Amino acid sequence: MKLPQSLFLAVMLLFAVGPLYSLVKISLSPPAEVMTAHPTLVPRHLTGQHWKGVLAGGQLTRPLLKSLIVATGVAVLSLALSAPAAYSLAHVSPRWRYGLLLGLFLCRMLPEVSIALPIAVVFLRLGLMDTHLSLILSHLALVLPVTVWILTTTFSTIPYDVEEAAALDGCNAWQTLLRVVLPLALPGIAVGSLLAWLFSWEEFVLSTYLTLSEKTMPLQVYYYLYQGNWFVTAVTATVMTLPVIVISAFLQRYLRETNLSGAVR
Amino acid sequence: MNRRLWLGLAPLLLYLAVFTLVPVVSTLWLSVNQPGIGFSLDAYRKITSHYQFVDAVGNTCMVTALGLALELCLGLALAVTLNGRRRAQGWMRVLLLLPLGVPTIVAASAMRYVFGTVGYVNEILYRLGLLTLPINWTGSRGLAVFTVAVADAWKVTPLVMLILLAGLQTLPREVYEAARMDGANGRQQFFHVTLPLLRPSITMALIVRGIDAFRIFALPLALAGHNLPVLSTYAYVEYLEYGNPHTAAASSTILLLLILLAVGTYLRLAGTSEVVR
Repeated sequence: MKLPQSLFLAVMLLFAVGPLYSLVKISLSPPAEVMTAHPTLVPRHLTGQHWKGVLAGGQLTRPLLKSLIVATGVAVLSLALSAPAAYSLAHVSPRWRYGLLLGLFLCRMLPEVSIALPIAVVFLRLGLMDTHLSLILSHLALVLPVTVWILTTTFSTIPYDVEEAAALDGCNAWQTLLRVVLPLALPGIAVGSLLAWLFSWEEFVLSTYLTLSEKTMPLQVYYYLYQGNWFVTAVTATVMTLPVIVISAFLQRYLRETNLSGAVR
Repeated sequence: MNRRLWLGLAPLLLYLAVFTLVPVVSTLWLSVNQPGIGFSLDAYRKITSHYQFVDAVGNTCMVTALGLALELCLGLALAVTLNGRRRAQGWMRVLLLLPLGVPTIVAASAMRYVFGTVGYVNEILYRLGLLTLPINWTGSRGLAVFTVAVADAWKVTPLVMLILLAGLQTLPREVYEAARMDGANGRQQFFHVTLPLLRPSITMALIVRGIDAFRIFALPLALAGHNLPVLSTYAYVEYLEYGNPHTAAASSTILLLLILLAVGTYLRLAGTSEVVR
């Protein structure tokens, strides 16, 4: 590799990793190395005081629990709604399929603030603010186009011959679906539900509109950021990022260009 | 289409109708209806005479344009550099893709550390001897636009890189051999072979990213707050801080129109066939 190229790659690698490094570094640094005119780039001392403070204080328990419940609810319900739809889409004529998929893509184009506002107005009247239900219902609306898109690609790759063969062997429609199609589609289903989970885990716009006091993790991070406490923010943000890194590492193996357009933000 | 297939689709379509279509239409309705008056364009009149709104429109466009330019240039450079280098791709790809998974609000927090007045960019510039007094990276409008665009680019350049890398890998090798036989050097190959052939992938990257860029919300809110209103955050402030759903609806609707306008114009310029494949 030539020198300019190596240099460019080095700078880009630094650019990619640097901000995350600073996040973790600050969560472990004594204030004297951070809140100064010349912060250290490589920490001289490490301290667990911020982690201890946040974890012992227990302020993260409720947001963590709320985010976990909501994200899991969204992942499960998104599968329940999008798997049958995707299976149907994979079996209709291409004209219908592309028309409907294009419609789903258009849904992804709509600004979140347009969707959030009336939902917030109605949910406020119904007394649904701060509930898990309100977040699950609204997150679903944003995530469904993506999961349907992924699952349709998955189901389309399963040849119809397989289903016919199962039918010939005496499976009825349900048995074919449960014993033949679903196992083959399992990787796609896993990817779809994990993406739905991630999407809800980090969703910010709708959650802000639908939350008064019971914050989710992203809102908690924003709350600390707004207060200006760098260390608590760093700890909370790191806690929030950990499951994301684990799941992304798993997903990267499945990231293929076909899914990219709708799958990743 | 048989009945059983419609049965599978119906719950999804119903759900999206109730939680996507109806909200967007009611936002439109909210924006042109004032309580006690009925149909009125007051909300639009009110926001268009508000300097923060005018700023928000400009900021949204500037952040989008600068962010897209950065993401496309860096993403393209990365894709071309990494293309065909299997060995380098392994661990570098993992590191380069890291920001893609990071939640936006976490990205915003990290960028606050990086671009803060006592942050790391200032410190590095100081150590390199390029700076004596720290820069307030969100102090002026221009700098704030730049900072938010860089923060956005940090998160999504990997996505652009992936799309373009996928595109590069489909380009036939023979074309390059032919170009080399005709005496084209590396730069000529890039501008006369790679770029034109890569146009469908570039279009796709621009559309996917462009739509998200217009809707940018958490980054400007968390990095610059009221200093850098964009259309989304303007709508948010109008509703949640001033309690006015009508002006919030009006600016949300203008954002929607802006997105439609941009995508429509781009598709007309670039040709529809490339996207709907």
